[in-house]
Amino acid sequence: MVSESGGSKLPRILVIDDETAIQRFLKTALDDVEYSVHQATTGHAGLAAAVAVRPDVILLDLGLPDLDGIEVIRRIREWSQVPIIVVSVREREDDKVRALDTGADDYLTKPFGVGELLARVKVALRRSLQQVPEPVFRVDDLQVDLPHRRVSVRGAEVQLTPTEYELLRMLVTHAGKVLTHSQILKQIWGVAYLEQPHVLRVNISNLRRKIELDASRPRYILTEPAVGYRLKAGE
Amino acid sequence: MDHSTSNHSAAASHPHRGRAPASSGVRYLAAVALVAVATGICEQARPFLSPVNMVMGYLLVVVLAAVFLGRRPAMASAFLGVLAFDYFFVPPRFSFRIADKEYLVTFLALFTVGGVISTLVARARESLEALKVRERQTTSLYHLSRDLAAAADAEAVLDAVVRNLEESLDSKLVVFLPKDGELALAAQSQGLEQDPDGLDLAGWCFRSRRMAGRGTDSFSSSTWTYIPLKALADTLGVLGVRFANGDAVESLQSHRLLNAFASLIAMALERVRLFQGAQEAQILKARENLERALLNSISHDLRTPLAVITGALSALIDEGEKLTGDSRTDLLLTARDEAGRLNRFVANLLDMTRLEAGALKLRLEPCDVQDLIGCALAAVEQRLGATEVAVQLEPELPLVSIDMVLMIQVLVNLLDNALKHTPAGGTIEISARQGDGQLAIAVADRGPGVPEHDLARIFDKFYSTPVPEGVGGTGLGLSICKGIVEAHGGTIRAENRDAGGLRVVVGIPLVEPREGETDHGV
Repeated sequence: MVSESGGSKLPRILVIDDETAIQRFLKTALDDVEYSVHQATTGHAGLAAAVAVRPDVILLDLGLPDLDGIEVIRRIREWSQVPIIVVSVREREDDKVRALDTGADDYLTKPFGVGELLARVKVALRRSLQQVPEPVFRVDDLQVDLPHRRVSVRGAEVQLTPTEYELLRMLVTHAGKVLTHSQILKQIWGVAYLEQPHVLRVNISNLRRKIELDASRPRYILTEPAVGYRLKAGE
Repeated sequence: MDHSTSNHSAAASHPHRGRAPASSGVRYLAAVALVAVATGICEQARPFLSPVNMVMGYLLVVVLAAVFLGRRPAMASAFLGVLAFDYFFVPPRFSFRIADKEYLVTFLALFTVGGVISTLVARARESLEALKVRERQTTSLYHLSRDLAAAADAEAVLDAVVRNLEESLDSKLVVFLPKDGELALAAQSQGLEQDPDGLDLAGWCFRSRRMAGRGTDSFSSSTWTYIPLKALADTLGVLGVRFANGDAVESLQSHRLLNAFASLIAMALERVRLFQGAQEAQILKARENLERALLNSISHDLRTPLAVITGALSALIDEGEKLTGDSRTDLLLTARDEAGRLNRFVANLLDMTRLEAGALKLRLEPCDVQDLIGCALAAVEQRLGATEVAVQLEPELPLVSIDMVLMIQVLVNLLDNALKHTPAGGTIEISARQGDGQLAIAVADRGPGVPEHDLARIFDKFYSTPVPEGVGGTGLGLSICKGIVEAHGGTIRAENRDAGGLRVVVGIPLVEPREGETDHGV
């Protein structure tokens, strides 16, 4: 599925962005011993590079001069499942949601720090390389034992309703990646519930009350305003 | 029964005929009847009265006729009285012949006195009628001017015109006002079919500044009368009138009244126009001031962090090797924090611009209040430092329909504001509760508060309280909060807390879930 990244070779990151300053900053930040960075400044060049370079992760700016970023995602998804991380400014929540629903894996809001960027790249790489998920998910004090359907916080088991467990399981299997409201609604409740977003809000709220230490400052289930939710990446 | 029924309300229409309730034929018949009655009484009294004294009875009839029937019936009754007196009582009886020629003097006297009395009485009555008409006109002018004085805009003026004139003129009305250089219908009586030539005639009237239509020298075949609404320098519009009683407009008095109405209306329109002009000038000036302040503020707020970032980075590039590790880290952190500040400022500026341009589209979605507060806290986490934040939520809060991204911005701005006025180690309190059909989210600090008279002003653009050096704000944050909250149909207000500090309360209307959305399982 994903382009090969052999044992000794560095993971390849393709950056598609028309801003040279951003290109320069990303290259400096990423292009060291850990990654090899390839660059494209237009949508078409990016599509060509995706074929030629066979990157392990693509960083895509939605505001390209020649092609709509959404279109770039669609064309890549026609033949590849390579993780795509979208970078966009705050005002374009709709674009982010469209990008994610079209097949992008994650997004970053400009301006972002390198720490955040590296964390997202790591999550994307791990998910693209690791085919079989860990049976037991752990992050901080939260432990989700998938085979036994057991959830515990700081060793104490937590009782969840079937819907809450399904919701948590979906978040766990995509840990670190943002899931849009409609993706979650479609999978857990079915297409008929796409126009009923409040069931999702209520269940997230209940789930948080059960697994978060302070539901007003959630550490595990993070809200991506107007986009969706993200479970903190596991260890 | 032709015109007289409408006379009562038509102040201007029939000053001459007064308010006699009967038509002229009936009135002449009444005069004949009066004479007949007088003759009958005199016949009964004949044994006790000399014929000369019977004349008094006929004189009485003339006076009564003059008072109640008008001038002409009174004259007729005088004439008939003379004939009846001659025929029935002057010897030889039942003949018009006169035995004693002295009776001729009596006839002449009876007839003359009858004529004079009827003329005098009728004139007195006419002037009384005229007085009443004038009083009604004065009253209607007064009512109109009172209503016009209260009218704040052209629409209210037109409303008052139609309402008052319809009644006091007993007529249908149209008003044309110029709009974009063309005369256009601005108001009309209800249920009125349009005069097809109306616009043309009104246009002529508008350009020539003269009356046109019925009762005037121009286009007198029309059923309408058009009067220009003349202000000092130009014509402000045209008033069109169609009387229920078509003849009414012919009289001089109704012309006078129409002109009086027209000048009242013109004055009111002129006043409204001048007032609007003055207001626009004021708004323009306020906007100019605001723009100047905005430019000053923006250039300051953009340059300050840029200066710090440039300074810090150039220090690192030029002197990096001479600096200790600590000061290098310090410079880098400063540059990063300032860049963050710059980013927040630009975000606020964009929000402000979109709010002002009316381009802000709300993406409403059901939202958990706790989630909302959590997101806002996550956004300010880095800047909180040693400041504590206490969150107090009423249990069982419902979901609210809001644009989450914008509402987070509101809370972030409120938190930033509270943070600015809270000394390190202090506590900021956030609370949410529901009541009165709305959700109230409050952000409270223990800072110095705001002088009472400024509480409402802190949401104005560029209002900024004195704050410790280095944390000065743009004065944009709270006005953006106000804009966003009001776009949600909500309210925002500030109050000083009893034990010191400021509390800002955001009220968001709670909308009942739509039918059918409530049942779906959780």
